[in-house]
Amino acid sequence: MKIFSESHKTVFVVDHCPYMAESCRQHVEFDMLVKNRTQGIIPLAPISKSLWTCSVESSMEYCRIMYDIFPFKKLVNFIVSDSGAHVLNSWTQEDQNLQELMAALAAVGPPNPRADPECCSILHGLVAAVEALCKITEYQHEARTMLMENAERVGNRGRIICITNAKSDSHVRMLEDCVQETIHEHNKLAANSDHLMQIQKCELVLIHTYPVGEDSLVSDRPKKELSPVLTSEVHSVRAGRHLATKLNVLVQQHFDLASTTITNIPMKEEQHANTSANYDVELLHHKEAHVDFLKSELHYCTGAYRISPVDVNSRPSSCLTNFLLNGRSVLLEQPRKSGSKVISHMLSSHGGEIFLHVLSSSRSILEDPPSISEGCGGRVTDYRITDFGEFMRENRLTPFLEPRYKIDGSLEIPLERAKDQLEKHTRYWPMIISQTTIFNMQAVVPLASVIVKEAMTDEDVLNCQKTIYNLVDMERKNDPLPISTVGTRGKGPKRDEQYRIMWNELETLVRAHINNSDKHQRVLECLMACRSKPPEEEERKKRGRKREDKEDKSEKLGKDYESDKPWQESERLKGILDREKEELAEAEVIKDSPDSPEPPNKKPLITMDEMPTVEKAKGPMSLLSLWSNRINTANSRKHQEFIGRLNSVNNKAELYQHLKEENGMETTENGKAGRQ
Amino acid sequence: MSRSVTAVLIPCVWPFSSPSTQGITVLRGDGSREEQFIMPTVVVMDVSLSMTRPVSVEGSEEYQRKHLAVHGLTMLFEHMATNYKLEFTALVVFSSLWELMVPFTRDYNTLQVVLVTDGCLGIGRGSLRHSLATHNQRSESNRFPLPFPFPSKLYVMCMANLEELQSTDSLDCLERLIDLNNGEGQIFTIDGPLCLKNVQSMFGKLIDLAYTPFHAVLKCGHLTSDVQVFPRPEPFIIDEEIDPIPKAINTDLEIVGFVDIADISSPPVLSRHLVLPIALNREGDEVGPGITDDTEDENSANQIAGKIPNFCVLLHGSLKVEGMVAVVQLGPEWYGMLYSQADSKKKSNLMMSLFEPGPEPLPWLGKMAQLGPISDAKENPYGEDDNKSPFPLQPKNKRSYAQNVTVWIKPSGLQTDVQKILRNARKLPEKTQTFYKELNRLRKAALAFGFLDLLKGVADMLERECTLLPDTAHPDAAFQLTHAAQQLKVASTGASEYAAYDHNIAPLQTDFSSSSTERM
Repeated sequence: MKIFSESHKTVFVVDHCPYMAESCRQHVEFDMLVKNRTQGIIPLAPISKSLWTCSVESSMEYCRIMYDIFPFKKLVNFIVSDSGAHVLNSWTQEDQNLQELMAALAAVGPPNPRADPECCSILHGLVAAVEALCKITEYQHEARTMLMENAERVGNRGRIICITNAKSDSHVRMLEDCVQETIHEHNKLAANSDHLMQIQKCELVLIHTYPVGEDSLVSDRPKKELSPVLTSEVHSVRAGRHLATKLNVLVQQHFDLASTTITNIPMKEEQHANTSANYDVELLHHKEAHVDFLKSELHYCTGAYRISPVDVNSRPSSCLTNFLLNGRSVLLEQPRKSGSKVISHMLSSHGGEIFLHVLSSSRSILEDPPSISEGCGGRVTDYRITDFGEFMRENRLTPFLEPRYKIDGSLEIPLERAKDQLEKHTRYWPMIISQTTIFNMQAVVPLASVIVKEAMTDEDVLNCQKTIYNLVDMERKNDPLPISTVGTRGKGPKRDEQYRIMWNELETLVRAHINNSDKHQRVLECLMACRSKPPEEEERKKRGRKREDKEDKSEKLGKDYESDKPWQESERLKGILDREKEELAEAEVIKDSPDSPEPPNKKPLITMDEMPTVEKAKGPMSLLSLWSNRINTANSRKHQEFIGRLNSVNNKAELYQHLKEENGMETTENGKAGRQ
Repeated sequence: MSRSVTAVLIPCVWPFSSPSTQGITVLRGDGSREEQFIMPTVVVMDVSLSMTRPVSVEGSEEYQRKHLAVHGLTMLFEHMATNYKLEFTALVVFSSLWELMVPFTRDYNTLQVVLVTDGCLGIGRGSLRHSLATHNQRSESNRFPLPFPFPSKLYVMCMANLEELQSTDSLDCLERLIDLNNGEGQIFTIDGPLCLKNVQSMFGKLIDLAYTPFHAVLKCGHLTSDVQVFPRPEPFIIDEEIDPIPKAINTDLEIVGFVDIADISSPPVLSRHLVLPIALNREGDEVGPGITDDTEDENSANQIAGKIPNFCVLLHGSLKVEGMVAVVQLGPEWYGMLYSQADSKKKSNLMMSLFEPGPEPLPWLGKMAQLGPISDAKENPYGEDDNKSPFPLQPKNKRSYAQNVTVWIKPSGLQTDVQKILRNARKLPEKTQTFYKELNRLRKAALAFGFLDLLKGVADMLERECTLLPDTAHPDAAFQLTHAAQQLKVASTGASEYAAYDHNIAPLQTDFSSSSTERM
């Protein structure tokens, strides 16, 4: 694929000399009388188009199809030639549309049959065309700027389509010689210029057109190389619809187009609304859309190509295109060699543009892959699917078409902003329900939803503070917390322990964002001031931190952001231990996790200090018991706890549990039930 | 090139549905067969007599070249079984005839052909030497199998060293095979003496070239997962002239944001790939994407990996539930999308499609770099009730079929436009606005095409209509018809003051017009 092939630049040179005002001698009936009104009235005489009109409408049709299918990077420069060259538009993208060209053509008007033929020549236009080809397009400029020292890789090729009425074959040769000479001269000029480019390759397409019924004075000639830079071909075509057909063939050749006819489209009849007839509509599109079937029936390929209806204003065409523009799709099927049918393409519109989608008709190697539930993480059942869905909606993208600038004046790239936001929103984001308390609490939402913001308003800060006060209030009232209890036994942690876990987690969340702004800092200050924390704990944490930092390296969530994350590490480790226990405890089949986003029962969570020690159960803790717990906990991380002891109740473990489970019996002893 | 297609009008949401599937038998290195998921490789094994030539290996039992080949293939198959589990393989053996040992039962895209031979090409009719010599004499019905009619790579594994092959014209013949396959493929020979070790190193090179799994890290901010992307994404050449270096995708796949499926709406893609979460153990070997394994050890390793929360699973679940895709950056100005792909058996998986490289792969999303977070917008572009969308972007210029262009190439096009004017002329003054709208449309096109005779013709027609007005007609009708005809006539002179393209013929202001203005 080359961007800067010959079809990047097309110059139309249309003859505007007096003889082009001649009739094409093909009549058009325009006064079609309706039956019951025709009595006694003679229809108006048919009219005929001039050679000029035929040339202009055929070239407009060429441009229409080209713009429909390639709205960008395929450019047209339109020149008309009489006593001089009139360049109707430029290479800029804004000039590339039918309306501009039509308006410019209207300003030129039809050729004046009374003008002096001696003064007029197509040569003026051809010289201007070569000049135009030397001019750099914005795409070429952009590519050259981007490639820097490799700027010479940007090619400059083009095509000149000249529609004229030539006098003879030697006249045609004279035109070709003129183009060749002009290219030679202009390439010399361009060599010494920064804003001109030398023409590397020019395809001259000379179309001699003449009135229907006359003999052509010019013979057809296939493409021939006149020089390494210039090739030329000559088409001798009768005017009227023959010329239009020729240009339709040429636009297909020049832009690698192919035609697809949609057959048997049922359409309601205007007069008889309850009947429908079948119509055919022919569409043009890039030929790649057919490659699939030409190469091999087995080839997998997919793409979307813009289309242009051949007969754009016909009723079937506009019926189909309106159907598509209204947001509906059409699937196309075609017969296979075997006689069966296969859905091969789909027509549908996106933003007012219709595309022909190539569907993969072959069977894919990606068929029947393993389900995601069979892979890593596939057997975890309590993913925060709904929460992540909410996260995705908050991180949806939207176009920012107006340039935006940062404070330092540099251009802001919206996509980089999107990445920044994802970074902020994921600093603390536990993936499973049993790994979090705060995200299971409605009361935390007002804080959690604003703390991730880059900048907070005073109102946001106030809401965060209110959230914190509310939590303090809840604690004072001893409200229960939704602490996850996956795989735990007994009642789980006490209420005050639950709150400690909750406050620690909340602190982790807020700390991950304190560097965002002073307001974030203020939220942390409020949190630290409000949260209840036994004085010993602070001390304990300080001493324990070093050791903990060394120990748990298995998890990386948010690790870059908090140096202070006592809660997280211990809880996460706990989580891993829990899951290991679960593995041993359950033999039942777990549902596919994506299909079961429901959280498991909210049972109390085992915590840090919940090693099965006797002290645990006995009221307020002494400093000694706190200290021994701490040591036990630290030690327990250095080795894997005996499964029996972990699963024991009152230090009594049931042996050979797995035998029962393997036999499909449910273990309900010790108050421990198989999950779900 | 023209083709007829039958249209069936069906609303659809491709590509978020998938066709039916079926299992496939794979030949394993140890000769066992098993049902698996695969990518196509055909192994073509030479079992002619010359393959039984002994290889002298000092101080060990005698090997034949065939044994070396089996050893190398075992290594290749074992590698696939461990690291390339979705591989799809068939085995063909040949000597003077061929036999398909294990057939493909499905279609394929790019096929890899591994030809194992000792480079003894045989003699006489049907030998490679003879086939190549007579290559030009073949007819279309008797076509040489190369190049294959589908994209393919041909790897020739020679159970011989370079010197041996060069002593005859074998190497030249094999090189011609690669040439005939449009240069797609490579010849491997044994370095040094023929022994198990050197055969292994030769197959090692093939594995490195063609069967290395593509490992990447999927990232969404701080949420990450190690993944294998299958099949391997192929490097892509953006423009052979401007940027001829093939571009490969990053091994960091960075999610940049999310878009609703309805908004991304059937985008064209270069290729599709499964994104399989993998667990990397300490040595860096993967535990595997979790497909059922036969050994106990792997089983338990997979079980553990299955129970560690993985971002891919979370992402997949939410994408599926929400009906969204994640937009992922694959490289500088190269993007793709992640989505949940479900098959008919209620299995679903995380799939990644690659868009064509470039700043704007999907016109209806606009430039990718211009997509930003909704929180930066003044108001939520999706609406407070999630009932709007900023997509699709509308192009600056409408396409011809959406803008009511005028085309008179076929007489019917012109006749339809004239009839529209006439129909409205007969319903004046009710249809005054539509009448002038159609009239001005025709006038503009006629001026652009320099078709002034048409303006005169239509003017004559309107004047005649005026004379045909029934007695019951509203008096305003006659005034408007006369006015319109007169305006067309002056435009048909081409005189610049009347023939300006942007000028529109306005309805005549009459005493009646205030009471008869059309309510549109």
